[in-house]
Amino acid sequence: MVYIPPLNFAPVVSTAVSLYRSGYPMPLNYPFIADRLHLKTVIYVGDKDISDDYKNFLDAQDINYEFVYVKSCRDANINEQMDQVLLKVLDKKNYPILIHSNKGKHRVGVVVGIIRKLLQGWSTTGIYQEYGIFSGGLKGEVDLEFITMFDTELVVRKDGVPDFVKAREGDDGAY
Amino acid sequence: MSDEVNVGDKLRALALRGPENLVQLLKQQDEELESKLGQDSGILDLHRAINEDPELKQRVSMILDKFYNMAERNEEDVDDIYDAEEHRGKSAARLRDVNVTEEVVPPENFSHIVGEIYRSSFPRPENFSFLQHSLRLKSIMVLIPEEYPSENTDFMAQAGIELFQIGMSGNKEPFVNIPWDLLTRALEVAINPANHPILIHCNRGKHRTGCLVGCIRRLQNWSLTMIFDEYRRFAFPKARALDQQFIEMYDEDKIKQIAEDKDWLPIRW
Repeated sequence: MVYIPPLNFAPVVSTAVSLYRSGYPMPLNYPFIADRLHLKTVIYVGDKDISDDYKNFLDAQDINYEFVYVKSCRDANINEQMDQVLLKVLDKKNYPILIHSNKGKHRVGVVVGIIRKLLQGWSTTGIYQEYGIFSGGLKGEVDLEFITMFDTELVVRKDGVPDFVKAREGDDGAY
Repeated sequence: MSDEVNVGDKLRALALRGPENLVQLLKQQDEELESKLGQDSGILDLHRAINEDPELKQRVSMILDKFYNMAERNEEDVDDIYDAEEHRGKSAARLRDVNVTEEVVPPENFSHIVGEIYRSSFPRPENFSFLQHSLRLKSIMVLIPEEYPSENTDFMAQAGIELFQIGMSGNKEPFVNIPWDLLTRALEVAINPANHPILIHCNRGKHRTGCLVGCIRRLQNWSLTMIFDEYRRFAFPKARALDQQFIEMYDEDKIKQIAEDKDWLPIRW
């Protein structure tokens, strides 16, 4: 059996819980996802309606589908949309999670950048590097600026937060 | 006679495009030269063509001097050669402005491969905290043949991280190839759960590491297209055809046998 992972597929976090990133999964990729990843949740950050193929596949695999409408990081209510994604990522119960956009480059790049920054305390250099690897050397300055500036007042239950999330100074459960 | 003038012009054009073109040319076989310069019969005496053109002659000797001074390195090689001086220089520069913040700094070209197997370029002191506290590494496998720097070994001793060194030279056209059995040994270290979490690195984390990751993907039965896609993502902008050929041709029977005997497959995500 040859497995075909979706475009731009990679693990993002693999200690204790599994978080993956990719482009839009196509029928070719379903065996890989079903046999190998054992997902509980898929988060789609994008602007397209779900295809019938994909919906049937997710239903059959009993994978929760979360759709967060994002056109780009210039959307008017982008902060709320990001909070919506983070809320899912910050709850252990949702793992293993796959976050995908269409090509797995820019929108997912922004989400992963924010996870690296806010939840894992990565340096800006590291975040930019990773964004660059997956966007194919395109700079995406607007995206990087957004990652750098983004912050949130999101409040979550501390006991539900997965272990990879780095506790912040004076942390009271608010992220 | 007119042919040779023609050749001189072409050589000059090649030389102007960049010295490495000319040096490569000098190293190449006659047949290849002929096809490149559009000669279809007879053996071309390259040196005579160069000697007959004073301007070209001077240029070539300048280029050769420069290249011999660099101990025969060409631009391709620079990425593969671990330079202790360079490493020390960058480390010293970073040690001076040590962590004012609590930020963690992953090494360049860092990424997850599968489960707790990671890849990156050569880690430097500013990355040590990330390796120790964020990844909680148990082992590091380095694919360079040069001696491992002492600041790295000191750090690893203090953090209780084991070092595996499997030195190899990168695939280089057309004569240098990574031996298969060396790669099999490296794979045996990489996929052994007893060594995880493990970081695999070479110098830039592009070519040798890319070959190893490609072979891990083969053990995971990935399609070659997606393996190469990943290889190129990390090797960008310096992807090598030979590396990809190596990944395609690598004979996985032996490592598959070992892995199956030890129950390491499928590699856990």
